Amino acid sequence: MKRLLSRSAAASSLVLVLLLAGHASSRPRYGGTVHILLHDRVNWIDPAAEEDSPAARDRIASLVFETLTTADQRGQVHPLLATSWSSDLSKKIWQFRLRLANFHEGSPLTAADAVAALANNPFAWKVTAGDRQTVDIESTTPVPFMPEVLAQKTLAIVKRLADGTLAGTGPYRLSQWQAGEHATLTANEDYWGGRPYADAIDFQMGVSLRDQILQRQLGPGSLAEVGLDQLHALEQGNQNLSVTQPADLLVVLFLQPDSAAGGTGKKPVDPRVREAFSYAVNRSAISNVILQKRGAIATGLLPQWLTGYEFLFPSRDNPDHARELRADTAALVIIPPISLAYNYADPVAKLVAERIAVDAREVALNVQPYGESHLYKGPRSAVHADAVLLRLPLSSTNPSSALSSLLERLDAPQQSIASALSASRPEELFDIEQKALEDFRIVPIAHVAEAVWLSNSIHNWQQLPNGMWNLDQLWVEGAR
Amino acid sequence: MSLRLKLLLLVAIGIGASVASVAFLIEERAHEAFRRIEQERTSTLINQFRREFDHEGEDIVHAVEAIASSDAMERDAMELNNGADVANFMNETAPYAQAQRLDFLDLIAPDGAIISSAHWPARFGYKQRWFLNGAPVPQQPFLKHVETPQGSVLALLCIRTVRAHGSNYYLIGGRKLDAVLQALSPPQGLRVSIYSAPEQGTGEFLGPARDSLDPAKLMPLIQKAMDQHSEASSTLDWDMSHESIIHAIPLAGYSDRVPGVLLVGNSLNQELSLERRIRDVSLVIAGVGVFLGIVLTALLTGRISRPIRKLAEAAGEIGQGNWDIRVNASSSDEIGRLAAAFNRMTEELAGQRERLVQTERVAAWRELARRLAHELKNPLFPLQITVENLLRARENTPEQFDEVFRESAATLLAEIANLKTIIGRFSDFSRMPAPRFQRVDLNELVRSVVQLFQGQLKRETAKIETEVELGEVPAVSGDPVLLRRAIENLVLNAIDAMPNGGKLSFRTRAGGSSAVLQISDTGKGLTREECDRLFTPYYTTKQHGTGLGLAIVQSVVSDHHGRVTVSSKQGSGAAFEMELPLASASSALEDPADDPKAFSAGAGE
Repeated sequence: MKRLLSRSAAASSLVLVLLLAGHASSRPRYGGTVHILLHDRVNWIDPAAEEDSPAARDRIASLVFETLTTADQRGQVHPLLATSWSSDLSKKIWQFRLRLANFHEGSPLTAADAVAALANNPFAWKVTAGDRQTVDIESTTPVPFMPEVLAQKTLAIVKRLADGTLAGTGPYRLSQWQAGEHATLTANEDYWGGRPYADAIDFQMGVSLRDQILQRQLGPGSLAEVGLDQLHALEQGNQNLSVTQPADLLVVLFLQPDSAAGGTGKKPVDPRVREAFSYAVNRSAISNVILQKRGAIATGLLPQWLTGYEFLFPSRDNPDHARELRADTAALVIIPPISLAYNYADPVAKLVAERIAVDAREVALNVQPYGESHLYKGPRSAVHADAVLLRLPLSSTNPSSALSSLLERLDAPQQSIASALSASRPEELFDIEQKALEDFRIVPIAHVAEAVWLSNSIHNWQQLPNGMWNLDQLWVEGAR
Repeated sequence: MSLRLKLLLLVAIGIGASVASVAFLIEERAHEAFRRIEQERTSTLINQFRREFDHEGEDIVHAVEAIASSDAMERDAMELNNGADVANFMNETAPYAQAQRLDFLDLIAPDGAIISSAHWPARFGYKQRWFLNGAPVPQQPFLKHVETPQGSVLALLCIRTVRAHGSNYYLIGGRKLDAVLQALSPPQGLRVSIYSAPEQGTGEFLGPARDSLDPAKLMPLIQKAMDQHSEASSTLDWDMSHESIIHAIPLAGYSDRVPGVLLVGNSLNQELSLERRIRDVSLVIAGVGVFLGIVLTALLTGRISRPIRKLAEAAGEIGQGNWDIRVNASSSDEIGRLAAAFNRMTEELAGQRERLVQTERVAAWRELARRLAHELKNPLFPLQITVENLLRARENTPEQFDEVFRESAATLLAEIANLKTIIGRFSDFSRMPAPRFQRVDLNELVRSVVQLFQGQLKRETAKIETEVELGEVPAVSGDPVLLRRAIENLVLNAIDAMPNGGKLSFRTRAGGSSAVLQISDTGKGLTREECDRLFTPYYTTKQHGTGLGLAIVQSVVSDHHGRVTVSSKQGSGAAFEMELPLASASSALEDPADDPKAFSAGAGE
């Protein structure tokens, strides 16, 4: 009898295991390691530091460091480290109530930590602690979308410890860091939102997917950034791909040599030449061919899907007009060659820069593209180029926040940035964009989508429309 | 220049010229040989280039054909023809180009639009219509410039067609021409490069030595080859330090235009080095030859020229009055015979001179005797007459004897005095005193002589005018007494020359290191012969002259280390110039009574 009972128990257990296994692919599982292959190399994880690959850095940093707020896939702002917020009527003074959370080294999150982290914000806000859990932010201009702005990863709450290390409150803690090569994040068991599913996330940086694409096989539990030029091959292989909206802005920024500081001795490019340049670029070819139709022609700074008004900006693809402008200008001044720097680590940027040079050549403008290693890091005056081709991520799904961030990265005047932060209506944002573009110093080229290749064992992959990853709910099949 | 030196020079020149001629001939032969070798080497290299060019062309054709005929490419063409998105084919050519080691590969749509470019991916969409001109697509590889982001690059290209349901897609593939150059292995001294001449923009040199080439020097040659479509050659500096013979061979392209020029440079370093060596060796040989030649010639010419030099020295001795000199005539050759003849001639000349001196001495004695007879005969005749008158008066008219005696005695005394004067002149000439030098103001001396003769000139029946033009003359060194005597003799001579009156002129002037006194008259003048013999003792043109006056003048002037000359023209007087050395500054302190030899020494003679 006893033996029968034990046999029945064993059979029941087997049935239960089989039943559980049958649900394994649809129910989140704890454990396992997610392997993420990044194309770019990240040298420093600090979200506030300048970095050659800020988007990749933000992807790693967002798992370790959290912001006060966050945005969902629809762009709706939600509490993160701040549980609630309020403002005065002028929208200049904001108050954020912090949740009870601990940093990875064990200390509790306080308003003083948040104030210290936000003290060097790029918008010159005055940040003070109301009480132990309340943070007051005061701006000289109205900031109606302050919660959305605070969702930007560069405004994450980072605690700088005495030994020089950084501590965050995020679902993962940094356990291994090899700058530019490798990073390992392990699950934060004490995370205020509950332990994440995966035990660890392993980042490999500077990875070329050539072999994997040829074999059309990504390792189990892996996901990888892929270039748009690689999409076609993967799509033909019916691979699991996630492609965002065209969110990143591909833009040419003509530099203004800082004569006061000595600068490089170069003269800024003549405005008429900049205008001719703007009309010379064949954005359709770039969008349709180089970006494999995963991009959109950019006539403004923010994409159409975000603002709804980008179509109002006139199309600049007009080589005949560019030729006329160039000829008129050449009759008045000598047009020197335009050196165009692009991020040498970005093959798409290289191709776009070369295409711009080809198009410019057709209207008799001499554009000389070259790869630059530190395009996003350090002062722009250190770049010995007339113009730079930048790929700027959409930092927020809130137009006002996103525009202010873009303008800041495009060296726009503080007044424009403040205006963008204050703007609450689309027509105001449109005017700000139009003003920023009117002198052709900023020449939008395209909005670029981002693509991720996922192995089939990765589940609950979430990516915001602006390309940001949300990995705290990620789990790996077959882990436990 | 001595005979020996002439001979030495002649030998040195002869040896030098011989060596130079031989060196020149060797150099010319070497030059010709090098030219032949250079032509052969150049020809070999050009043939090698052509072989490599053809081989590379065939390789490219095979590569492009392999791509065009591949299933994948045919599938691509079919998909494209069926309306597939060209964006998906943008990177299609790069793997093919990499696999086939092609530097350039374009996939072209039937309308000429670039679908994919391996070497310039960003150039998609732009049209390449240069080969779509209705003519058949060339099957052979050809040279053409390919546009790249870095500029125009000279390439060896090949076109192949990929057919897809009646539509033609084109593959244009190729490689840089540098590869052909790199495959060449030129022998030492040969260099090769290609000048790429794009339709637009500036050209460039290809090949390993491109950076060291000087376009400014090579461009005229390259342009000539391109314009004439034929090979051109020139000797130029290939780079900064290598002079070379450079051949420029135009390379045929897709069209009539020459897209590039093959440059083959053959360094002349070896030849120049050999030429330098020949020159150096020739110089050494010539130097040694000339040295040996000079030594041997010096020895030989010493033997030959010694008797001649002795002869010359003996002749010089004879010229200086040593008639006793003789040369050794021991040898039996021409030089010996010449020496014997010289000795005979010397003896003959010495004999003749002795005889001539004897004759002259006799003639002089005769002349002196004649002159003495003449001079003494004149006073003797009155003496004889006077004595005879005295005798006749004593015998015939004794009463008048006293008176006659007194008159005769006076006459006798006068004639005896005359005789004494004549004898005194001869005595004076034979005993001319040595001058006692002192500083003498020549002008003052002339003035005192003129003053002395003023009275006499006034007494002359014929009127003689004097003209005195005395210049600025420094003091001369001389004996004032003797100089005065010489000037007086010249004045007397001039007065005698103007029996019918005239003008006597005195002029002084400074002439370099001497002072010149000119005394001229307007008498009948002198013949050339008279001028030549005028200062000869006892020679006179006057009826009653002793012929000693001007001889005394010359003796005095000569003792003063001066010179006296006469110039005259028949019928227009004569002018005597007495040139006397100036007194030195130091002589101002000398005692006028000093030894004249001391003065001579002080005058630097």
